[in-house]
Amino acid sequence: MNITEILAPDMILPDIRANSKNGVLEELAAPICAKYRQIKLNELVEVLVQRERLGSTAIGDGIAIPHGKIGGIPRIVGVFGRSLKGVDFESLDGKPTHLFFLLVAPEESTSLHLKALARVSRLLKSATFREQLMKATDSAELYRLLKEEDARY
Amino acid sequence: MNTPQLSSLPFLAAICSLLLLASVALSGTSRRVGVPVILPFLGLGLLASSTSLGVVLRQSYHVSFVLGTLSLVLILFDGGLNTPLSMARSFALPSIVLATVGVLGTTALFALCARLFGFSWPQAFLLGAVVSPTDAAVVFPVLRGSGIQPQKRVASILELESCLNDPVAASLTPAFTLSLAGEAPLAAQSFAHMALSLGVGGVFGLGLGWLGRVMAPRIRPAAGGLYPLMTLGFALLAFGLPELVGGSGFLAVYLAGLIMGNSEMPYRAGILRVHDSLAWLGQVVMYLVLGLLITPSHLLKVAPQGIALGILLSAFARPGSVMLCLLPFRYPLRELVYLAVVGLRGALPIILATYPLLWHVEDARLIFDTVFFVVLVNTFVPGSMVLWLTRQLGIESDEPPPPPALLEVVSTRVLTGAKIISFSLEASAAACGAPISELPFPPDSAVILLIRDNEVIAPKGATVLAPGDHVYVLCKPADQPFIQLLLGRPEA
Repeated sequence: MNITEILAPDMILPDIRANSKNGVLEELAAPICAKYRQIKLNELVEVLVQRERLGSTAIGDGIAIPHGKIGGIPRIVGVFGRSLKGVDFESLDGKPTHLFFLLVAPEESTSLHLKALARVSRLLKSATFREQLMKATDSAELYRLLKEEDARY
Repeated sequence: MNTPQLSSLPFLAAICSLLLLASVALSGTSRRVGVPVILPFLGLGLLASSTSLGVVLRQSYHVSFVLGTLSLVLILFDGGLNTPLSMARSFALPSIVLATVGVLGTTALFALCARLFGFSWPQAFLLGAVVSPTDAAVVFPVLRGSGIQPQKRVASILELESCLNDPVAASLTPAFTLSLAGEAPLAAQSFAHMALSLGVGGVFGLGLGWLGRVMAPRIRPAAGGLYPLMTLGFALLAFGLPELVGGSGFLAVYLAGLIMGNSEMPYRAGILRVHDSLAWLGQVVMYLVLGLLITPSHLLKVAPQGIALGILLSAFARPGSVMLCLLPFRYPLRELVYLAVVGLRGALPIILATYPLLWHVEDARLIFDTVFFVVLVNTFVPGSMVLWLTRQLGIESDEPPPPPALLEVVSTRVLTGAKIISFSLEASAAACGAPISELPFPPDSAVILLIRDNEVIAPKGATVLAPGDHVYVLCKPADQPFIQLLLGRPEA
């Protein structure tokens, strides 16, 4: 699985404005609902919030990978978001979260969903790569960086 | 002393055995009924108080004092061992404020009430100091038995506070007792002395805890069963040494436990289990002793004012003090109410109340009997309300309940590498519905055990994970965040 299969160039938010966990989830979910009209924003956010209740998806090092399954989406869709000032996402290491990769999967695709989670978490593992992402100027550069880093594996 | 039956060891053993067995047996019933587990112990002590065991204890309060002190040492050391350092750090400030200013506040407000009931000011303040410490160990078994837990913040503050206020109340009580006995005037001096004693206790506790932490892996006992004796040795040292030089041994023993409990000790699981039992023994002994010290015929006289004062403590003194202390922290009102109500009296007031008896203070007996009722009311009332209150105030935690089975590696060596974590699987976790073979686990991780309902299952690649499953995973600490991303939050 390649990251380009999940992430489209128009699914990148270089400058997340929200200051709260729920606000970030809404901002990340919005592009999906704009593209797939059958998905209601409040329903998708509720799915994501349900998952966050099991423990934050902010796994440390400034990364969060919120995720969930919802009916009506044709395939796994990712949204990448960056918050320059950082958000309190109740991360496991207690530090603010800057880089977000939202993954939304169809109800039945359990194993692909798991593979995508593994892929994304490995993609964001390198500290130097994360620094590059923080320095990128616009969404085109972010997309290029993600694609290049993904191609290395 | 003419108590020939008691000099016979078999008789003493028989009485103690009966009390112990009955306490353990009754604890199950009391948990089902939702009454604090320790209350039956008190009842048993009361029943046995007319036996020669009670007579002897009442003839020499010193024995009770020693038993109680040792019990508290065991309880506080165990409390320290089981306090995660992260929790101590996060909630240190509110807990310390409650344990210091809060104790003084409760003491003063309660003294006000006691004065209204005809106690002299010095007596009233002494009473206040005696009943000011709280005990979380009394309340949490009630909640655990019913499968609900209070939210992390209130639970942590209650637990930390209850360990930290014991040393404070224990330093305050002698100061008030001595002033009442006419030995020393109560002045700013005695408060300075109290601060000094806590400071010295703190330094000794941290130092000896550190020493224990460094020494534990180096002392190589011949058998696993000797490890808990080593930690017990450190606990007694941490109490005794600072006491010799006027420091607070109670604070020291708690801090030493805290530092040793948060280190990689060999035979750790075994050590924790033994200290857990010793702490229970401490609770049983303290409440039995309280019951045994009571002369039932004296009680009736004190009952009305004792019960009234008990109610005033739980409805006025404790809430007032908690509210004032925590106002600057801006916690939601429902949390403040919860903290105020669930500040239960534990076993410590019992030992502290023997202090005036030991010093032959005037009306010491009256003070002791009053304390009995205050403790009784403040264990029974909040204890039977806590379940209802937790639900009513919305303090219920949505954290997973403790796992149905504990899987741990017990070894006399410090083992490194992987550790075992358990998860209670919920539908919204990504791994739910997947066969184990499709979990993209890191190379050094594996699902090693599955508990479905009450059945232990050997996990195979084809086993599909279902909601409600308890999944036990072996993984490297560095991989834990990723495992949690797939499975959710680990069980406590």
